[in-house]
Amino acid sequence: MSSWSSKPVNKNEQISVPPASDLKSTWAFLQDGIEQIMTRLRDGMTYSKYMSLYTTSYNYCTSSRMNTATEPLGTGRTAGANLMGSDLYSNLIKYLTSHLKQVKELSDPLYDLQLLQFYAAEWDRFTTAASYVDRLFSYLNKHWVKREKDEGRKNVYNVYTLALVQWRSCFFLPIQDQHSKLISALLKQIEKQRNGETVETTLIKKVIESLVSLGLDEVDSSKQNLDIYQDHFESPFIQSTLLYYKSLSDAFVAANSVTDYLKMSQDRLAEEEARVDVYLHASSRKSLIGACEKALVSDHIDIIKHEFVHLLEFDKEDDLYRIYTLLARVDALDFLRKKFEDHVKRTGLAAIEKVYGNAEASKQGPKKESDKGDLDPKAYVDALLDVHTKCSLTVKNAFKAESGFSAALDKACREVVNRNAATGTSTTKSPELIAKHSDSLLKKGNKQTEEAELEDALNQVMTLFKYIEDKDVFQKFYTKMLAKRLVSGLSASDDGESSMIGKLKDACGFEYTNKLQRMFTDISISKELTNSFNERMTQTHDASELAVDFDVKVLATNFWPMNPPNTQFNMPAELQPTYERFNKYYNSQHSGRKLTWLYNTSKNELKTTHLSQPYIFLCSTFQLAILVQYNEHDSLRYDELKAATNLNDNLLKQTLATLVKSKVLLQDEDTYDLNFNFKSKKIRVQLNQPIKADVKQESSDVLKTVDEDRKFEIQAAVVRIMKARKTLKYQNLIQEVISIVQSRFSPKVSDIKKAIEALLEKDYLERNLEAGRDVFNYVA
Amino acid sequence: MAQPPTKVILLTSDNEEFQVDKDIAERSVLIKNMLEDIGESEHPIPLPNVTSNVFKKVLEYCDHHRNDPLPSTDDNSDEQRKRTTDINEWDQKFIQVDQEMLFEIILAANYLDIKPLLDVGCKTVANMIKGKTPEEIRKLFNIQNDFTPEEEAQIRKENEWAEDR
Repeated sequence: MSSWSSKPVNKNEQISVPPASDLKSTWAFLQDGIEQIMTRLRDGMTYSKYMSLYTTSYNYCTSSRMNTATEPLGTGRTAGANLMGSDLYSNLIKYLTSHLKQVKELSDPLYDLQLLQFYAAEWDRFTTAASYVDRLFSYLNKHWVKREKDEGRKNVYNVYTLALVQWRSCFFLPIQDQHSKLISALLKQIEKQRNGETVETTLIKKVIESLVSLGLDEVDSSKQNLDIYQDHFESPFIQSTLLYYKSLSDAFVAANSVTDYLKMSQDRLAEEEARVDVYLHASSRKSLIGACEKALVSDHIDIIKHEFVHLLEFDKEDDLYRIYTLLARVDALDFLRKKFEDHVKRTGLAAIEKVYGNAEASKQGPKKESDKGDLDPKAYVDALLDVHTKCSLTVKNAFKAESGFSAALDKACREVVNRNAATGTSTTKSPELIAKHSDSLLKKGNKQTEEAELEDALNQVMTLFKYIEDKDVFQKFYTKMLAKRLVSGLSASDDGESSMIGKLKDACGFEYTNKLQRMFTDISISKELTNSFNERMTQTHDASELAVDFDVKVLATNFWPMNPPNTQFNMPAELQPTYERFNKYYNSQHSGRKLTWLYNTSKNELKTTHLSQPYIFLCSTFQLAILVQYNEHDSLRYDELKAATNLNDNLLKQTLATLVKSKVLLQDEDTYDLNFNFKSKKIRVQLNQPIKADVKQESSDVLKTVDEDRKFEIQAAVVRIMKARKTLKYQNLIQEVISIVQSRFSPKVSDIKKAIEALLEKDYLERNLEAGRDVFNYVA
Repeated sequence: MAQPPTKVILLTSDNEEFQVDKDIAERSVLIKNMLEDIGESEHPIPLPNVTSNVFKKVLEYCDHHRNDPLPSTDDNSDEQRKRTTDINEWDQKFIQVDQEMLFEIILAANYLDIKPLLDVGCKTVANMIKGKTPEEIRKLFNIQNDFTPEEEAQIRKENEWAEDR
């Protein structure tokens, strides 16, 4: 199928156009057509009319210049072809001027809504017509106008732009001159809408769009220029917005609660945001919202701040969130962060005060500082976690987890965890309590045996651990307690233990948990060792020689916080063979290693035969050493026991006291008799109870080693820094030492000073005498 | 199924009616704009500046190029387009017409606002001029020399820089 076909027609449908040489008839024809487009476009336009108008303007623009009179607009041209068009262009201006004058006169009696409606309707009509005319004159645009512009003439525009320029100067500016009645009408509509009345937003939008279109860049008409919009509309609009919200907010505050005010402000701000989208130019968003924020938030910031403290007490997350978003707008969050920090601190301290108070009250009679050890670690940890959990939720829900608030929470928690009613002035109490709590979590008999639950509880411990300043103290206590759990087989689960060590490693690095890891290794090696030893014994000895079951743990001295008892000791004859066999076996496996026996941590099981029913006594080696003496005797004197065991007085007395206390022995002054009437509900009787004084002693021992270790750690830090820097001023050295060790504890300056002095003495450092007394050199 | 293209009726100055697929007619920006403004109708569109024999050639061009992308109004690509005098093969063959027809086509393309066709025409003329002396050019286009010898000497002097050497 052909895409086009032709046939001649008889009747002459061709149109006639005025001769291009005759400006007068040409313009008369064009003006008639433009008038039709401008005023009667609704009646329609035929192809013929359109084509005749186009052809007329085309023919005129392409006609030779010889035929025309002077070119009033084209001046100073020297060479090249002259383009026709300036006559048409100036006639167009004349036409538009008089046309718009009529429009302006029609608008004179109109005000407010009527004026807006008239303006919008006229704008629609005029711009539609202008785009028609622009196309009819496309040849003029493309050649004459382009040429004029290329030659740098100002105030020559494409026909459409020309129409807008005329609209601006002959219609818009003149009505604005009448007390800017157009914009006043517009602002009135917007205020009505703010007061809750329904208004025609499309009308407002149209007028505003026309203001944007009327901003014409003189140099480059494709560039957007918002002069008209800003000067005539935006600045009075912002002004009126400020006034509106000033009086609104003043009145509202006087009559309503602050929380209602917050809600109102939030709603109003959202409303204004929406206004921008509905009918304003996007560029106004910032200044409009800024004005609203000033009138609604900044001008009332004091009452909002005051309310904030109040709301925190009552945990009103929704209202807090409102304050947060409002004050975030005006960049006033610092105040809130500070207040929140205070709040967390206050709540935390109060919570500790409470559990501490309870612990005190449950004790009989008022006791002093010395008995702080009685505070239940779990209650302490739970109280801290409670506050932390609650306040974290507030940060998450009310403050959208904003980093400044998270930091405030951390700061407050650090303060509470390290300095509270339970710690007093001691910096080591909190790490001790938290370490004890983790011990009870990981010990057998803990109720949270579900793996997930335990994991959860351990994570919570880590939350607090993060805040501990003296992490080295925690480490000491933790190591000690882990050692006990491992040696006594009291660990609830290996998974739990290694999970916790993993967490500590993540938090503090390999070094921090190195010892803990090694302790684990020792325990599993010991299991193998015990097995292989026992197996070997059954091969080399007769069963009758192996009357004693034997289980051994060999611990590397460096990694375990354990000390052998400071006493002489005679190994009971019953154990002697096993003792010797193992020593021999171990030395054959690892020559050159020294075995030290930790009797104080060993456990023994003893079967009774002297009582009406057999019991099994669970006892320490020292207890055992005493009890086996009664295989031969029923009654022994203190000096006899001393001679037999060779224990020092202190230990012997303590050990005897435990046996007397559990009624296995009966004391009669210097004489200890076997109690034949011993009774117990359980078959297995635990005699090896730790002595209370021991526990206390342990704590202070731990702390002593902490101080000792710190000294070395500070010295090590000083040496490391000086080795790298060679020369450093005293103040800078102090700073660097603090920055290095503070991940483990916060050092005292006086301790650092002591460390430096010690190093000076040991000739690791020297004073730089040329640079002054406070400068040090590293001595290689 | 694609709809059969709508047709528009075009009427040349010598009263010949052309039924043309709308998309072909719309290669003329003039017609495209007018259809946009006024809408489609049964009425013929008069083209008082174009005769049927020239319009046939124009339609031939528009038919062949009906699927070309519309020329952009971007100034940059305009420069690119102006810089080259290359004409593709089909267009070269198409524009091999006598001089009178060539000028008629150029005029029609200008009137109807068919930029690519106007380019083909103008480039063809440019290629005809290229490498010829003024005298040869005058002969080619049948132009009378209306310069006085003095004027001619003056112009030669002014344009000396452009001479080939």
